[in-house]
Amino acid sequence: MNKVFGKIGKTQPYFGFLVFGAILSFAPVLMNNTQWFLFAWLTIFAGFIVYAIAGLGMNILMGYGGLASLGTAGFMGLGAYLTMVLTVDAGFSFFPVLFLTILATTILGIVVGLVSLRVEGFFLAIATLVIAEMLRQVFQQMPLLGGHAGRSMPAFPTISLFGILEWTLNRNQTYIMLVIFLVIAMFITQLLFKSATGRALSAMRGSESAAAAMGISIFRGRLLAFALASGFAGAAGSLFMFFMPFTNPNHWNLVLSLFIFAVVVIGGVRSVAGTVLGAFIVFAVPQLFIARLPVIGDISGMDFVFTGVLIIIVVLFYPAGLIWMPAGIKNSITKLIKRKKGGETT
Amino acid sequence: MSNLLLKVENLSIAFGGLKAVDDLSFEMNHGEVYGIIGPNGAGKTTAFNCITQFYKPDAGKIIFDSKEDGMINLVGHKPHQVIGRGLVRTFQNVELIASLSVIDNLLVGAHIAFKSTLPEQVFRLPRARREEKQLRARAMEVLEMLGLTHIAHMPATMQPYGHQKKLELGRTLMMSPKLIILDEPAAGLNEVETVGLIEIVQRVTKELNCGILLIEHDMNFVSKLCNRICAISFGKRLAIGTPDEIKAHPDVQEAYLGKSDKESGGGEANG
Ligand SMILES: Nc1ncnc2c1ncn2[C@@H]1O[C@H](COP(=O)(O)OP(=O)(O)OP(=O)(O)O)[C@@H](O)[C@H]1O
Ligand SMILES: [Mg+2]
Repeated sequence: MNKVFGKIGKTQPYFGFLVFGAILSFAPVLMNNTQWFLFAWLTIFAGFIVYAIAGLGMNILMGYGGLASLGTAGFMGLGAYLTMVLTVDAGFSFFPVLFLTILATTILGIVVGLVSLRVEGFFLAIATLVIAEMLRQVFQQMPLLGGHAGRSMPAFPTISLFGILEWTLNRNQTYIMLVIFLVIAMFITQLLFKSATGRALSAMRGSESAAAAMGISIFRGRLLAFALASGFAGAAGSLFMFFMPFTNPNHWNLVLSLFIFAVVVIGGVRSVAGTVLGAFIVFAVPQLFIARLPVIGDISGMDFVFTGVLIIIVVLFYPAGLIWMPAGIKNSITKLIKRKKGGETT
Repeated sequence: MSNLLLKVENLSIAFGGLKAVDDLSFEMNHGEVYGIIGPNGAGKTTAFNCITQFYKPDAGKIIFDSKEDGMINLVGHKPHQVIGRGLVRTFQNVELIASLSVIDNLLVGAHIAFKSTLPEQVFRLPRARREEKQLRARAMEVLEMLGLTHIAHMPATMQPYGHQKKLELGRTLMMSPKLIILDEPAAGLNEVETVGLIEIVQRVTKELNCGILLIEHDMNFVSKLCNRICAISFGKRLAIGTPDEIKAHPDVQEAYLGKSDKESGGGEANG
């Protein structure tokens, strides 16, 4: 599935994204009409979709902005908790909740962006981690949020048209909604990458002084990268909550942030298709396949080992991510042929 | 007087005890190619960094005939604000963006010409599309001038070094600046490439009526291009004059050939 997607993505990425969304949307159909797609898999797929959205935000921040964050889980958690409070306690419907959640996480992202102007690299990563841990403390301490045990909300979103028409989605429809938002996120990311702002972010990543010489404001660039990444993470957390619909503080810890980091590294830096592929490998493959293997599948923590080994392999052989593997293989083959033919060395 | 483009007045900056630039003054006119020479560590790059506001000078003025507001003092501007005034620079080491194509690298040079907002850009609204189209056309013109249209869509940093040096110069042309500052544009180029670069610089000054201020070790290169040269050593101005006057100047000869063995090599040869 991802292979087809990658190929189409080369020439016509936007059309490829739509095809990919359509294919993903077939999961409930398969589930209802055949034995091939298990009921539980839909939850795994929903998770993969949510993490792919957060991963896209991470790719904007890291792949384009060249900035590091270990706080993604905190922002996703904030998105999830806000969604719960706004839905249950404030009584808003799906779209207002999603909008307000994205708005709030984006604003917090801008604050982190301001912090990023003062601290660099490794220290910035630690600063984001601290912010995420502070958020987690808030989740744990506030009685409204359910403390350590967490809290749940009524399953699946309600869409309301000016309070007149109300319609609560079922599990399959909510899943389709998630797919739609993933495709939207893919479009936005790709369009951003290809815009003047995307080029400015790339320039900033390469060399901040060269970027400044071209008139690019580092201040604006950093705030923007963090705002977008946090907004994506907030949206992901919100959609997670609408589907699952339960959250507790422990879910949004450093491990999750690292996994989302791994999504980008494994899948493909600066590649939308690569991010989605990475999310599938990191969040779906261990549960779909590895957990079903005899013996190995019974060992707990196997998903960590799988992700760890993959990262090492990818960093060693395809430092830009697995999505670039076909190009890499093609390159080595052409090089091999050239060498055999001409005996030229450079 | 009305022809004045840049006037550096009593510029000084120190790092700790080291006076990297010490009371430096010189001025250049519109459309002039002006050279700065000096041994390694003389403070040339530091002077450029002060002019372009990457460093905040301890003292001195940078008077510049800006695009919109006439004569202004650049001191106090943020680095990214300088290009909007009509002054753009390159770096001593090539700073092209690895993940972008040749034409996209040129478009980065036109960053401040994009007035459309982020949503306009992401959703490809008319204004953003119009800007993108116009500036792409402009980038192709620049590539044409450099003779590099055939590599427009190739990755920039995979190009030969000579092409990359040209592209860096091309990127500065995107905003039609009044003054371009080049830090060792010919460093690492072979003879043929150097001749090509000289031709391009001459065309740029003629066709765009744009001043060029450059640092260069290659005396031959400087002599061919520059009307006037300012020689500096240990941050201080040694002499100003035509290339021939500078070559004959005793202080300059001493700075290059006289004192330490390290400098005598670096001053004459290029790489
Ligand atoms: N940011 C800085 N901090 C401390 N010292 C600096 C800094 N920048 C430059 N210097 C010092 O200032 C002096 C002048 O350096 P500069 O780079 O301007 O020399 P240059 O004339 O450009 O030499 P080259 O021909 O080697 O490029 C050197 O002694 C250098 O070590
Ligand atoms: Mg220098």
